[in-house]
Amino acid sequence: MAEPKSITITVDGKSLSAPAGTLLIEACKAVGIEVPSFCYYPGLSLQAACRMCLVRIEKMPKLQTACTVQITDGMVVTSDSDEVRQARKSMIELLLGNHPLDCPVCDAGGECELQDMTFKYGAAESRYMEGKLHKEEQQWSPVVYFDRPRCILCYRCVRACGEGMDVWALGVQNRGSSSVIAPNQGDHLECEECGMCIDICPVGALTSGAYRYKTRPWEMKHVGTICTHCGDGCKTTLGMRRSDTGMDIVRGDNRDKSGINGDFLCIKGRYAFDYFDHKDRLRHPLIRRNGQLTQATWEEALEHVGKRLKEIRDTQGGQAIGVIGSNRTTNEENYLLQKFARTVLGTNNIDHHRTTDFAGFARAITGKQNATATMRDVATASSILLIGNDPTEQHPLLAWNIRSNVRLNRAKLFIVNSRPIKLRRQAAAFLQVPEGRESKFVAFLNGDDTAAGSLTSPAVSNDSLKQVRDQLRGAQDPIIIFGSELRGADIAALVKFGSGVRAMFICLGDYANSRGAADMGLYPDLFPGYVAADGPHNFNEEWGKVPQVKGMDIAGMMQAAKDRKLAALYVVGSNPVTDYSFDPAALQNAFVVVQELFLTETALLAEVVFPAASAYEKAGTFTNTCGDIQLLKKAGEISSVRSDFEIIVRVADRMGADTKKLVPFGKGVHADMGQSRGAQSGEADRHAVWLTANNLDPRLSPFDPMAILDEIQRLVPGYEFSRLNLIAGNDEHVTAAEHSNAGAGNGLVQIVPANDSLFTSGTLGRYSHTLNSVIENRRSTESKEVMAD
Amino acid sequence: MLHFSKQTIYTEHMSIIRDIAGIAKGMSVTFREMFAPTVVENYPDGPGPMKGAVFQERFRGLHVLQRDENGLEKCVACFLCAAACPSNCIYIEAAENTEENRISGAERYAEVYNIDYNRCIFCGYCVEACPTDAITHGHGFELATFNASNLVYRKEQLLAPIKPMRTEAPVESTSQLKEPAQDHP
Repeated sequence: MAEPKSITITVDGKSLSAPAGTLLIEACKAVGIEVPSFCYYPGLSLQAACRMCLVRIEKMPKLQTACTVQITDGMVVTSDSDEVRQARKSMIELLLGNHPLDCPVCDAGGECELQDMTFKYGAAESRYMEGKLHKEEQQWSPVVYFDRPRCILCYRCVRACGEGMDVWALGVQNRGSSSVIAPNQGDHLECEECGMCIDICPVGALTSGAYRYKTRPWEMKHVGTICTHCGDGCKTTLGMRRSDTGMDIVRGDNRDKSGINGDFLCIKGRYAFDYFDHKDRLRHPLIRRNGQLTQATWEEALEHVGKRLKEIRDTQGGQAIGVIGSNRTTNEENYLLQKFARTVLGTNNIDHHRTTDFAGFARAITGKQNATATMRDVATASSILLIGNDPTEQHPLLAWNIRSNVRLNRAKLFIVNSRPIKLRRQAAAFLQVPEGRESKFVAFLNGDDTAAGSLTSPAVSNDSLKQVRDQLRGAQDPIIIFGSELRGADIAALVKFGSGVRAMFICLGDYANSRGAADMGLYPDLFPGYVAADGPHNFNEEWGKVPQVKGMDIAGMMQAAKDRKLAALYVVGSNPVTDYSFDPAALQNAFVVVQELFLTETALLAEVVFPAASAYEKAGTFTNTCGDIQLLKKAGEISSVRSDFEIIVRVADRMGADTKKLVPFGKGVHADMGQSRGAQSGEADRHAVWLTANNLDPRLSPFDPMAILDEIQRLVPGYEFSRLNLIAGNDEHVTAAEHSNAGAGNGLVQIVPANDSLFTSGTLGRYSHTLNSVIENRRSTESKEVMAD
Repeated sequence: MLHFSKQTIYTEHMSIIRDIAGIAKGMSVTFREMFAPTVVENYPDGPGPMKGAVFQERFRGLHVLQRDENGLEKCVACFLCAAACPSNCIYIEAAENTEENRISGAERYAEVYNIDYNRCIFCGYCVEACPTDAITHGHGFELATFNASNLVYRKEQLLAPIKPMRTEAPVESTSQLKEPAQDHP
């Protein structure tokens, strides 16, 4: 596509140039001239309803709306004159005609665009004598409240819900000044409860049920961190406020639009932080005494675990210990956990809840350049192939990016799925194939025409299959996205096809950091960066002796537990009893340690339970399912819980391990920085030399996740991103999968997709008040409707 | 040689007279004031709830949270007083009114309203900031305590009492009437 021609216009005497086709309001914004607007919103269709953006354009008889005028060569514009200011003031006066002056109680007060404009242009004193029309506030859903008199009819919510979310749950009733925003079900909403309408509302007409009347915007401290639910890694801004118990999260939103999610956040990112102060949250370590889990001190619990694990390791060896990691702990914690397992416990028996085959993906794309797409790429790619998964439910941001791309850039979307997923409405071609035959489609893509036989149905003809294949073969740099339906050899076959068209791939996994767990080597057969445990690697050199044989995966551990060969099981932030149907009876005789937020089915079987901090209460990094790494910022603190990082370091310390080896902290503080001994001595402190070379500080605390991040960046290929950019709050793409050295796979792997919906999120979702109330609300309205029928 | 001029005699004698006159004038004020009504406030032994203390109307004393004509709290927990406060001594927690539990006239009310008089400088900015005239300065001034934690006043201590309906004028102050509940050491 050729770059559009650049056009020069004059605004307020300043000359500026922008590409042809740019809207005047955007051209002004680009050079810092503010043109106010309510109804105009970048990325949504044009409305010209609020008439706040009126400007004087020379040779035009009347004032023009800058949001709908495209710039033309030689245009001369006045954006700020008495006339323009008077016009805007009059518009505000009309808007305020029926707008209640209840700013002191309105949730938007302090961050209200109408308030700002009134302060800027005046018209605060009304000349109307008539009383204002009052309507009672309505509750449309557990999270959406509507205050009709406050609405200024900018229609942003209607467009965000319809065009952006493709939900179309909000509409306009009546015409002219009697227009009202109305929900799709008469008096309530039936929608995805994303809360986009609330966030985008310039005034306080739509307010959030979760944040309602709790505090005021300026009372909160805003912390930009990463959502802890699905694998998309949206940036969410948490409003923090001091409270009796420390720092409370009052609300989540995306006021910081710099994240990979731009304007978007789904219900989980916006409201489902509320598990953090659930009454069932563990606040004390628990030790099993006389068959009962009883409250204990940290000292007792750590001492007990340290002593028992050391005993088991020394008497039965590391192979009698199993470790199950988490896909919602940080990269640093995952790395530390596997290092702890391999160097301190001396075992390769480490696994995590695998929701997709990241290892198979790494094996398939190893050695390829630019083979993985970022989340941002999805919003700009010219064509997208989606095989399996239902992004609307499981990866809402991905779905949003695909929809926006199709709507704004006319991208071509091809979908192969066994279910009629919602995204098919955006698809250029939707092929519904029988369940489990997605791999046949991959074979078909690779030229195996015989595979078409098992794919065709009344809805999918042989010709339509061929058509899609031809289009994909001719596609320009497409992005291929696939879910857990494709595994192992199927992924390899898909990559083989994709390489021919220079495709970039996204492998979809569930939970906030499942990609991170895979990259950091929570595998019995793979070290960090997908390095085969039994292949050539330098971890012996770096960490000291590590076990050379492959360990057991979760299924293996369960079998070993049944055979009474598993003496201890160390579980971090995972619930294998439920997720993997791990037989509880098999764990009767094993020493089970669990680090968790809640008393899960697995924690109930444990001998010791450590209360862990949630991702809102610690710092670190998360890698999303595309491989975009982002900084997790500590927002609040809950008393008497500790981060998984700290717990692991403390347990290692109680086992007598050298924590300085586990977490490379304090380097160069007591000794030199490695320069004097240098590489020549052969005994160089590689880590300290690397720190010096990278201008990084020696970390002073054994609980500093950055100390481990230093080591990750040094040892995991593909993680050489810009730390500066990461700390600035931006996303960086990591390519551990492309640099992997995983050797041959061992065929069958047990993949258990989470199959979460928009309103569920594994263990954490079960304890979210908002998610539960939405589910409950849906159930009750459904039963009411059934009764009405 | 003794020689007294007329002038010398005059000045010597007149000075005595002037002094006597001066003292008499001064004493006249004294004697007049002795019989005039006293202007010294008889605090704390005076009569009435103020114990003899008299204030200008503008005096900024202990705050009073006012009620409206229906007896509902005027405060709607907008946090503007807390935002205006230069010493950051106001702490509020907001909550929503319900049909069953109506505390204020608007949708929201202050569930917790604390003023920390350790920090308060009685500048009156909170009163100026209040959009509903809910917070006012009363004339309460007896804030001294042996325990600094007593100086964090809760909403219950600051609220005006519910007055009978016929009262039109705003309540001036309540806390001046009685000592705040204190735990004496």
